[in-house]
Order: sequence, then structure tokens, then C-alpha cells
Amino acid sequence: MTELNLIIAGVGGQGSILASHIVAMAAIDEGLLARVGETFGAAMRGGAVASHVRIGNEVQSPLVPKDGADIVLALEPLEGLRNIVNFLKKDGVLITNIHPWLPVDVNIGRAEYPSMEAIKNAVQSLGGRVVEVDATAVAQEAGNIRTVNSVMLGALAATGELPFSMDALKQAIRDNVPPKTIDANIRAFELGFATMKK
Amino acid sequence: MAKLDDIIIEDTPGKRVLLMGNQAIARGAIEAGLGLAAAYPGTPSSEIMETLATASPKLGFHTEWSTNEKVAFEVAAGGAIAGVRSLTSMKNAGLNWVMDMFMTLVYGGVRGGYVIVVADDPDAHYSSNEQDTRFAAAYAAIPCLEPANAQEAKEMCKYAFDLSERLELPVFIRSVTRISHASGDVELGKIEKRENKPVFDKHWKMGWRWNVYGPPGAVEKHRWLHEQQAKIKQEMENIPWNKLELKPKQTLGIIASGIGASYAKDALKKLGVEEKVAFLKLGTPTPVPEKIVGKMLKSMKKILIVEEGEPIIEMQVNAIAKNVAPEVKILGKQTGALPAIGEINIDIAAQGIAKLTGKTLLPDEAREKTRTGVKKLISPRSSTLCAGCPHLGSYWALKQALRKVGGKVPIVNGDIGCYEQGGYGLSGKEYKPSFATESVRYPIEAPYETLDTNYIMGGGIGLMQGQYHAKYNDGPLVAVAGDSTFFHACIPAVINAVYNKSKGLFLVMDNFITAMTGHQPDPCTGKTVTGEDTKVLNIEDVAKACGVEFIKTVDPFDLKATQQAIEEALKSDKFAVVITSRVCTLQAQRMKQYAAKRMVFNKDVCTGCRLCVALGCPAITFDTKTKKAGIDPILCVGCGICADVCPFGAIKVET
Ligand SMILES: Cc1ncc(C[n+]2csc(CCOP(=O)(O)OP(=O)(O)O)c2C)c(N)n1
Repeated sequence: MTELNLIIAGVGGQGSILASHIVAMAAIDEGLLARVGETFGAAMRGGAVASHVRIGNEVQSPLVPKDGADIVLALEPLEGLRNIVNFLKKDGVLITNIHPWLPVDVNIGRAEYPSMEAIKNAVQSLGGRVVEVDATAVAQEAGNIRTVNSVMLGALAATGELPFSMDALKQAIRDNVPPKTIDANIRAFELGFATMKK
Repeated sequence: MAKLDDIIIEDTPGKRVLLMGNQAIARGAIEAGLGLAAAYPGTPSSEIMETLATASPKLGFHTEWSTNEKVAFEVAAGGAIAGVRSLTSMKNAGLNWVMDMFMTLVYGGVRGGYVIVVADDPDAHYSSNEQDTRFAAAYAAIPCLEPANAQEAKEMCKYAFDLSERLELPVFIRSVTRISHASGDVELGKIEKRENKPVFDKHWKMGWRWNVYGPPGAVEKHRWLHEQQAKIKQEMENIPWNKLELKPKQTLGIIASGIGASYAKDALKKLGVEEKVAFLKLGTPTPVPEKIVGKMLKSMKKILIVEEGEPIIEMQVNAIAKNVAPEVKILGKQTGALPAIGEINIDIAAQGIAKLTGKTLLPDEAREKTRTGVKKLISPRSSTLCAGCPHLGSYWALKQALRKVGGKVPIVNGDIGCYEQGGYGLSGKEYKPSFATESVRYPIEAPYETLDTNYIMGGGIGLMQGQYHAKYNDGPLVAVAGDSTFFHACIPAVINAVYNKSKGLFLVMDNFITAMTGHQPDPCTGKTVTGEDTKVLNIEDVAKACGVEFIKTVDPFDLKATQQAIEEALKSDKFAVVITSRVCTLQAQRMKQYAAKRMVFNKDVCTGCRLCVALGCPAITFDTKTKKAGIDPILCVGCGICADVCPFGAIKVET
């Protein structure tokens, strides 16, 4: 394979870093090299978080170059937009949850939240494509609102762009989510996958 | 892949796993048969100790969160002097605290391997500055290793213990954010079982080895350190991570170290010029291996140096070139080929390489224009204190008290911790430079505009005393600090305030934990790094013992009592300490010790005065169209303080 550059973006507390580690572990389990670079303060609840994942046979550094992401996987739409603007490849794809998590700046009326329409136009103006997922609703259907990240991983897997098997990915989910939530997360993953195939 | 706690102590050489750089460093130390580790938390270094602490009870070595980096450094040095393999880790700023011992320990060196890991933070993601601590390693005349990825981080840490014992000197590992807080594939190695038997011989190979004052004295010990330099140089020529790839006829080359080497490799590939350019990958930025560098320079016309931080390799290479190849053109941070500040990445490295190969990389103007347009759509997501954070109460009460007590221009000296957000300002608001010649009072719209000064841990309380003794008279003087910061850095300054008769308010926001760096326990938490119960130190008792006469401890969720205590302190003619004491809300929730209240918001009563917004809680909303505030039910944790802030009774606690 050549290389897969992926960014998983979201808000602190949504599990984007965990999702990026799950992808990297699955890649390593199937003999590939993987690098993950987190950006921004991940510790703070509600802060912007982006995790860069680079997979291939020769990848060295952990940050995706400018206009270099094949896929931006956004657990939150605004965070998708924040990352595509610098990183999405010309023909790349933004897979985004459609459920916003309003920043405090919007909450107190100091800034405006962009509409989904504006986000789609923005991605298209940069040459990319948008896939929308109602991940929050799917997570609820899976029985645990906190499985948004697994839903999105399912949607990611459905693109067929991942250079490793679904089994490896599912195993990495099982190994990394809290034991009590394994079933819900696997269900969320499968529902996320199915949503895309519909 | 199994759970990290298990992976870290698994003796399965050859197994490939994903590790964060900091976990890889910890694993390297475990593979080397570590005997003792001491550290103080600091992003991006904390996971080294956190990882070691999961393993230490099972493997039987000692780990601790020390009260500060200096103590940690000395604890680990004590272990190494007694022949036990020891490690200390810290963030960039931590090294500034250890300089005294650091510069002196090297006069006699160590007996057991001593590895000092420092995580720098180019781009100051989590730090007060961008300092490059490789200079400190050079200053102390000890070798510095710099990993390019997680695998190297593990290998180098393991190797550093052997190297340290061969040289009888501490060995320095310089990490950066993109190593420490990045993850990568790591192949595990064998875990060495070491007895780590402590021994003590005060004249080991040198009279009074561990006492710089003992004969033959400090100057002779300095001589010994200088004699070790030849050995260090020799080692650097043979270290496995100093590798030259040089093909015949190549006249362009790159010298790159650590993460810089990873960016440079990726950038060469991106530009498709890998074959054209010779590559010297360095694992030791200081000292550089002179012979290898010399050999490369002799066949070069032009080279580019790619390193993260200051141009320390560049300076050394320039010096070597003067002797062996003065014609070679050397590009780097000093020549402007790479930026002198901030961190590098693949794109920046590519720009530098383009200059090396004589190409120009032109930006796609149309795309840049579109990008600028899109950026205007992106709302910021400002960093705030958490919903229900006790610091919100402390700041609210402080603001009210300062207003009440008067004085034209108070000075609030900040410090480092979650509460430092009290000086992050409001996003989107422009703060213009002022050239006033009299003191100026600025409005405080939100707690995020409170802190007037802020530099480093423990800095505020000292600054306040200087302002007092400079006879600042335009308003009250305040300094704030958290509990971990109090124990780390403030106690001598408190004693100083009492001794030298300073005045002012020292507001200690005690949330019983080191919250900002990820909730590490500290001396008032009652737990050690491994979760063992230990004594709880009480800040009020400590302040009393330091001679402070005005001390009050209050609950920051009780806004009235807190405001009153602060007012009294501000009016008092003594140096006053007010402790706002309440467990960090995130921690309390995690420990299931948090009782949430149910909040009700009555829109009909709300006048849109925005007082509740000024509290700074991220769960408070404001609709600019209806001019009404509100509460975000998902973010609200039900602390109830906003009900006390609203003067119209629009916010109530449901009973
Ligand atoms: C010399 C130094 N060491 C470590 C750090 C990392 N650090 C940032 S804030 C902080 C302490 C935070 O704890 P506390 O003062 O209790 O405040 P809290 O975050 O809990 O409000 C630390 C250790 C630092 N900035 N400087």
C-alpha cells in the first residue's frame, strides 16, 4: 500500500483519540507501520481535539501534511470544518456526524455556528466531498450515547479505504473500550457501517 | 492488542504494539531493569511516570510524584549514587528548577545508570515558553539523546542506562511534544531482570566522590568531568542512531535529529528527491559525532540542518565545517531556511529542502483564497474552566470583593494551573497595546480577564511582594495559586512575605489535586502515585507554620462567604492567605463523590443582564436574538453557583 492519512476530529470527551488509537492498533496488528499525533489540549472536556493517523509501510512523522488527509472523520461538524480547511486533500472526503456540540463562544453569542449547508459548500469549494452520518442518533439506537466514536469508525470502515481487515478493527475496539461497553460499541460500529451501505 | 498496563510489563520480545512516546520511554526503562523513578507532572511528560507507576508495584521498583522537579531529580540522583538504575522525567520548565543540582551532580557523576528525560514543547502547546533544553545538556557536559519516533524513544531509554553506567554520568533524553504525545508502532524488547542492589562507597574511584567539597575539591572534579568528554565523543561516533546515508556523487545533504529527522524523511519522499540528497540522521544532537559529520561535509556543497528548537546542531556543524570543509554552504534556522520559532512539520521541512535543492514551492493562490474564505466560517472553541469548576466561584468572589473594596487599579498576579485560564482573555476580543503613564484599570467581562501577570509556577506570590515593596499604591495586590503549585513552589515565598513584612492577598485555590496536567495526586490528596493511602497535608496548617497570621479557609461554592473572606483579607493590614477549598468537580464526579443539583431556569424572569454569562461557566448560554440567558442541560453539572449570581432569581436550584 502507499499511505493512508486520516484525521479524527471532535470535542474533548467524545473519544476521538481513542478512535485514532483503535485504527492504528488494527493497522499494526496487520503488519503496517502507524503513527498517531494528537493536536491541541486533549485533557480539557469540551476543547477541540484532533488526532492525526498515518498508516503505511514507510510513514515516519505523526502529523498529516497540509492538504494531505485522505479522510477527515469528524465526531462533531464544526471540528470537521476546522480540520478540513488545512488538511483535506483536493479529492478527499469529510465523514461527519451531523450533531453539533456548541462551543462556549456560540453559546454566549460571541460567534456563530456554521450551518451544515455552509460546511458542505466549504468542503466542496476545496475540492472535497461530504458524507453525513447521524451518529448521535445511531449511538442512541446502539444503546449507548457515548459510542459515537464507534459509529463513526463503522462509517469509516464502510468507505473501504482502510488498508486492513474489519476483524482487526473490531478486535481493536473490543480491546480498548471499557469492558462493560464492548457489546454496545460493537453494535454501534456495525450500525455505523450499515448506515453507510444503505 | 492487550491492555496497556499488561503490555508495559509483558516479557514478549518481538511483539509489535502501539505506544505513546511517553509509554515507550517508560517501557525502555522497564526493559533496562529500572530500580527507582521520581517525577513531577508536567505536560507533555506526565505519562512517563503514570506508566511506570502502573508497573512499579508489580515489578517492585519505587515510583513517586515528588513535590517538585528539584526534589524528584534529587531523589532519583540519590538512587543512582547508591548504584541503582534511576530515572527522573519532567517538562521543559521543570529543568529550570533542577539546574543547581544538575550542574553539580555531574562533577562526580553516578554509579547506577541515571536517565533524565525532559519533554520540550516547541510551539508552546502546553508551556510558558519554547525553551530548548538540549542546551542544558551541553551546559552540564553530559550526552543528549533525541528520539525520532516511539520505537527509538524506547530503545534510547534502555540504551541510556548502559551508556550512563559506562560514562559514570547522567544521560539526558530530550523528547518533544510530537514524540511524547504521539504514538507509534513499537517492537518490544527483553525485560532485563536486575537486582539493583544498593551499595555505598564514598571514595568510589575518586576521593569523596559524592561530596564536591571533599578533597580534591570541586575544581579537580570539574577536571574529571572534562576528561570524560573524550569518552563521550568516542561513544557518539558509535551510537546506533547516528547514521550516515551517503552515496557517491551526492553533493547536497541533510543533517537532521529527532523528530526533525522524521519530518525531513517524509518531506524528501513527498518531494521525490530522496535519491538526490545525502542524509545524516542524528540521535545525539549534543555533542554531535564530529568524525561522522566531518566525513559527510567533505563531499558536500550544500547542506540543510533540520532540528526542532534552537539551532544547536547548526552551531556545532558550522564549527566543524570551519576546520574540515569551509566551502560548504550550511542552511538552517540561522540562515532563515527554516523558521527560528514555533515547531516544524513536513511542510516546513519541505520548504527548507526546496531551498537546498534550488526549487521554489509556490502556493496555489486560488486555493489559499478559498481557504481564507472558509476560515471565516469557523467559530473558535475557546478554552474555559469546566462547568461547575470551583475556580469559577473563587474568581467570581474575587471580582466582587475587588469591586467592593475599591482601589483604582488592583494587580492580580497569576500562576500556573487550571486557574491560569483566568488570564487567557476572551476569544475574538482585541487587546490593543497601551502607552499610558499612569496605572490603568480595564473591565473584567469574564474570569478569563482576571490575571494581570502570569509566568511560571510559583511566580505570582513573589511578584506581588515586589509590587508591595516598590510601594505600588494604586490598588490592592493579589496573587493566586493552586494546591499543587503551593507545595511545588510557593512555600519559600510565603515565608518570605512574612519575614520581610509584605502585604497583600494570597488566594490559594485548593482543589486537592494537580488538575491541569491530568489529575495527579499531590501532598493534599491523600494518595501516592500508585494509589496508596498517605498523609494529607493541610495548606492552612502549612501557612500557619510559616508564620502567616491572617488565614481563612472557605468553600468557593459559597460565594458570599468567599467574597467576605477576600474582602476582609484585602482590608487587613497583614499578609493574608485565603484558601478556597473544594475538590475538583471532574475528580469528584470520577470518584462518585459529587452531588449534582437540578437547576431550573426561568426565561420570563431573565432580564438579559449577562451577569451569569460573566461567571464564565461554559454551561451558561445566551441567545442574542431573544436576549435571554439559559443553561445547557448537557454541560451543566448542577453545582448551583449561578443561582447565587443571578440577582433576579431567574436561576433556581430545584428542591
Ligand atoms: C516547572 C513546572 N512544572 C510543571 C508544570 C506543569 N503544570 C502546569 S499547571 C501545574 C499544577 C496544577 O496544579 P494546581 O496548582 O493544583 O492547580 P489546578 O490545575 O489543580 O487548578 C503543573 C504541574 C509547569 N507548568 N511548570
